[in-house]
Amino acid sequence: MSAASSRPDLPGVVGLLWRRFTWRHWCLAPVQSAILVAILSLGVGVFFAIRLANRAAVASFQNFTDLITAESDGLISPPAGLLPETVLTELRTAFGSRPVQLIPVLETTAARPRQSETEVIGSRGTFQLLGLDLIAVQNLAERRRPDRSWFDQSASPGASATSRDTSPSPAATQFWDTFRNPRSVFISEFLARREGLSPGSELPLILNEQIVPLRVAGVIPTDPAQPQAPAELMVMDLPALQRLTGLTGQVSRVEFILEDGPQRAERWQELRALLERQATNFPGAIQASSTPRWQVASPADRRESGEVMTRAFRLNLTILSLLALVVGLYLIFQALDGAVVRRREEIAILRSLGVPPRLIQRAWLCEAAVLGLAGGVVGLLLGWLGAQGAVRLVGRTVNALYYATSADRAALNSSEVVLALVVSVLTSVLAGWLPAKSAAETPPAQSLGRGHGTTFIGPRLLRRTGLAWALVALGFGLLTLPPLRLEAGLRIPVAAYGAALCWTFAAGILGGSVLKHLSRWAARPGSPLSGGAVSRLALSHIREPSGRHRLAVAGLVCAVAMTAGMAILVGSFDTTMRGWISRTFQADLYVSSDGAQSASTENRISPATWRAVAAHPGVARAQVIQAARVQLPEGETMLVGGDLEFFREFAQPAWLQEPVDNSIFVPATTAGQVLVSEAFSERFRLRRGDQLTLPTPAGGQPVTIAGVFSDYGNERGSLIVDRAHFARWFDNELATSLILVLRPSADIESVRAELRAAHPGLAVFTQSYLRGEALRIFRQTFAITYALELIGVTVAVAGLGFTMVSLLWERRGELTTLRALGLTRRELAAAAALEGLFTAVSGVAVGLLASVGLGWVLIYRVNKQTFGWTLETDRPWGQLAGLAVLVLAAAAATAWGAGRWGAQLPAEQEE
Amino acid sequence: MKSTTPTPPSTLLRARQVGRTYAGRAVLRGVSFELKAGERLALVGPSGSGKTTLLNCLGGVDRPDSGSIELNGVALETLNGDQLAEVRRRRLGTIFQFFHLLPTLTAAENVELPLQLNGVNAAERIRRVQQLLDRVQVSHRADAWPAQLSGGEMQRVAIARALAHQPELLLADEPTGNLDSKNGANILRLLRELSDETGTALVLVTHSPDAAAICHRELELRDGEVVGERLLSAP
Repeated sequence: MSAASSRPDLPGVVGLLWRRFTWRHWCLAPVQSAILVAILSLGVGVFFAIRLANRAAVASFQNFTDLITAESDGLISPPAGLLPETVLTELRTAFGSRPVQLIPVLETTAARPRQSETEVIGSRGTFQLLGLDLIAVQNLAERRRPDRSWFDQSASPGASATSRDTSPSPAATQFWDTFRNPRSVFISEFLARREGLSPGSELPLILNEQIVPLRVAGVIPTDPAQPQAPAELMVMDLPALQRLTGLTGQVSRVEFILEDGPQRAERWQELRALLERQATNFPGAIQASSTPRWQVASPADRRESGEVMTRAFRLNLTILSLLALVVGLYLIFQALDGAVVRRREEIAILRSLGVPPRLIQRAWLCEAAVLGLAGGVVGLLLGWLGAQGAVRLVGRTVNALYYATSADRAALNSSEVVLALVVSVLTSVLAGWLPAKSAAETPPAQSLGRGHGTTFIGPRLLRRTGLAWALVALGFGLLTLPPLRLEAGLRIPVAAYGAALCWTFAAGILGGSVLKHLSRWAARPGSPLSGGAVSRLALSHIREPSGRHRLAVAGLVCAVAMTAGMAILVGSFDTTMRGWISRTFQADLYVSSDGAQSASTENRISPATWRAVAAHPGVARAQVIQAARVQLPEGETMLVGGDLEFFREFAQPAWLQEPVDNSIFVPATTAGQVLVSEAFSERFRLRRGDQLTLPTPAGGQPVTIAGVFSDYGNERGSLIVDRAHFARWFDNELATSLILVLRPSADIESVRAELRAAHPGLAVFTQSYLRGEALRIFRQTFAITYALELIGVTVAVAGLGFTMVSLLWERRGELTTLRALGLTRRELAAAAALEGLFTAVSGVAVGLLASVGLGWVLIYRVNKQTFGWTLETDRPWGQLAGLAVLVLAAAAATAWGAGRWGAQLPAEQEE
Repeated sequence: MKSTTPTPPSTLLRARQVGRTYAGRAVLRGVSFELKAGERLALVGPSGSGKTTLLNCLGGVDRPDSGSIELNGVALETLNGDQLAEVRRRRLGTIFQFFHLLPTLTAAENVELPLQLNGVNAAERIRRVQQLLDRVQVSHRADAWPAQLSGGEMQRVAIARALAHQPELLLADEPTGNLDSKNGANILRLLRELSDETGTALVLVTHSPDAAAICHRELELRDGEVVGERLLSAP
């Protein structure tokens, strides 16, 4: 018997099983198949949408100059403030005869004037305005593509480079017009089309705090190798922009373009070394320091900075988006397991006919994979649609916390598509692993007695309470580990996430034990539930919970714990923010440029204007705030200059490390001292008494940390010094904002109206309005989490429904007997509902208990390690009770529905 | 595959001192017998006597605790799960009391399935399915789903399926136990005719003397032991 002694070779059997069985079952139960695909696609869709939205938000942070000049070889930028134009001469001398083109760039922000007084902060987009040497840029463009010009554009809207292919020569008239009119601005073709702008159109913009009537000179002719200029990009001639912003003689950075030719990378490396040496030469006026005058970067470094800045935020969002997928995984498991139960007889016959177990297992895994693929494909569609909404939510958060982004649509990306499909298929195959194994273990039909051999034992892990306690202990151990530290002071709380996972899994195991004890307690002699037939019947099934019951409890525990844990985090955040906002915003009026629409705004208030505002007769005290981004060796942070005594009095900081004396608050003794936010302290690992050197245009400034205060403004952290030092270091008095305390006799609304009328380019907010806006912006950053939580709970309840259907299918013989004994369908449904309710009660109770632990991990580890913020714990009991009631009601209703269905099952019904 | 002309008769199946215990209770105790190619053997005895357990051991879906079962000289206890599956796929055919037709396959597809599992080409499959359905007189129901068939029709399709791949040995567990007497008699006649025509050996588990009567020999089991053997007719 040679065939028996060799390994069976059945290459086409899996395909046969797929065609003849799986596919037909799917066709026979199209609704159930569609639900499964829909659930999986929901999880994949959420994951895909968040990834696309994240990508869109990051993609909008880029080096805009590249779009115009094609990619430069490198650039220098100051670690703080701006570079003086004199560096151009210095560099040209240092370069000698090297053929390098220098492109000085001044980059600032602008916004359209407001249309109505009721607009909310951030509702108008932020434009990035580049000041470039247009003649140099035109020369560069002509050298690369002679058919592209800045100066021969027609007056038709959206006239683009492509329409100019037939008239390549620059129009001299337009050239001179552009330079004679210092208010000429080039806009993107996208904006020109969207707003119907053409050369000659008026375009008023808020630059700093002034509404400046600019005129459209033409459309930015981008290099064909580069993507189209985004809507928010505008270009002006460098000297004109310097004059308009009061930054004459200063640039944001200098970019370098080498001559085309061989060994370009080597030539750049040589230039880079020269630039780095030059950066440590300090001219006489600048205090010599170990901090170089500028940093040298490649375009890739710069692009990465936007990616790095938001990495923690995006990672957290991605992890959150996996919630729906994780619960979906559990549901796929339940559904496939249910399918194995229903098709057990069929599998047994196949076994009798000689199909080996491994092929049966492979066929089921194949089914799971195809299910994953189908869910993935639908998920891609859902995700792409969802991304168009999510991109605005993510964009708003990025705008509020990190940098200006105008991303309003998410483009499809092939690597994200592949990733989403792989995640979908892997999730499904992982979920299908145990059911496939269970299917393969089905004995042949001969030994498959009716009512025997079909009881699902489930993963043995779910019965090991010892393992649960070990996981709890492991979680505690993980919580003692520090976060993973990446570049730029970024921290990823890997161990804390691991602890959360351990506790969630442990809670899932313990949930099964709770169900057992709960049902025994409810069935004890004399209890109200011990007497009735229906309740006795229901409780008898969970006195020794089956693997399926335990899995249902574990799924509910997982969903409820994660949802409630997030609710606790958000509730704590909300409480903390409200407290912080009410402490911080104590003054009467807050003034900033009306063009300041995002965290990265460069719009400032000129000294003349803020002095005029401060001199208003209604103003008793004015606090002038100056701020600049500074680049420390470990990453970028924010340096703020202000009146520290005013800060102590009107912002009432919550001290984590209070200054040991008053010297920092006294002008005579404040020199060399700085206050830092908690986020700064955590990110740079610096505490009270530590010293650091601040890079400034006036050279490195050694300072000592006098105190650490709570702050929730941004996760990059901030330092506060006395404004006199700031103004001296940065050699300007441009203010970021003004905080006004009015005289008791002054009417707040009247003063606000007068200031707005006198300075239409200023935004003047009352205390109550700003408090409300700060809370609104904070809450919108969490909007996406609520949607994700709802999906998680829905999927978990649906999982319970699948569980009940599988259990009832297994018990259809028993149901026949019960009907024969006289139980009505209503009573059978009630028994199922009670069984489902007890299962849900166990899941919800343990889930809520676990959420307390998860909430703690999220607040004190994940949040603290990622963002460096200490939060006040708050448990939103009302919200948690609502969640519990919702889940229990939904679970009971689902189980009732399953019970009604089960009560109508014929005893020997075959699918 | 076996030859359809089983002469001279050789030993197809040999059971030696087969023992099987469940939960401390001996279900089979030292059962020994032989079956020649083309021979029909009835296993009779009261409920719980071990008939079905013995049939399961013969089919390789259960393993004896002691003793040996040889099919064509190969000891089944030496084979692993995959190899036993191979034996069932190529050499055995099984008929169940409850028919066990696959509900998602039509009658013809049920019969075709073993041929597909054995890699028979499509043209040959179609020919043999048609032939078998004609032979069991259900070709007019070829495209019907199992749920649309009567009990007798289902068992005819099940017999066709069991014989489709021309097995050497047919194992039948109470094949008429779920049929009325008329249908039962028809099925028994069909089984005998097909066994004669194809030379397929048959082990038939039954309570019914009428069913046992189609066999050449009868083996009586009681409490897991062979308590009697009777020759019914010459093979």
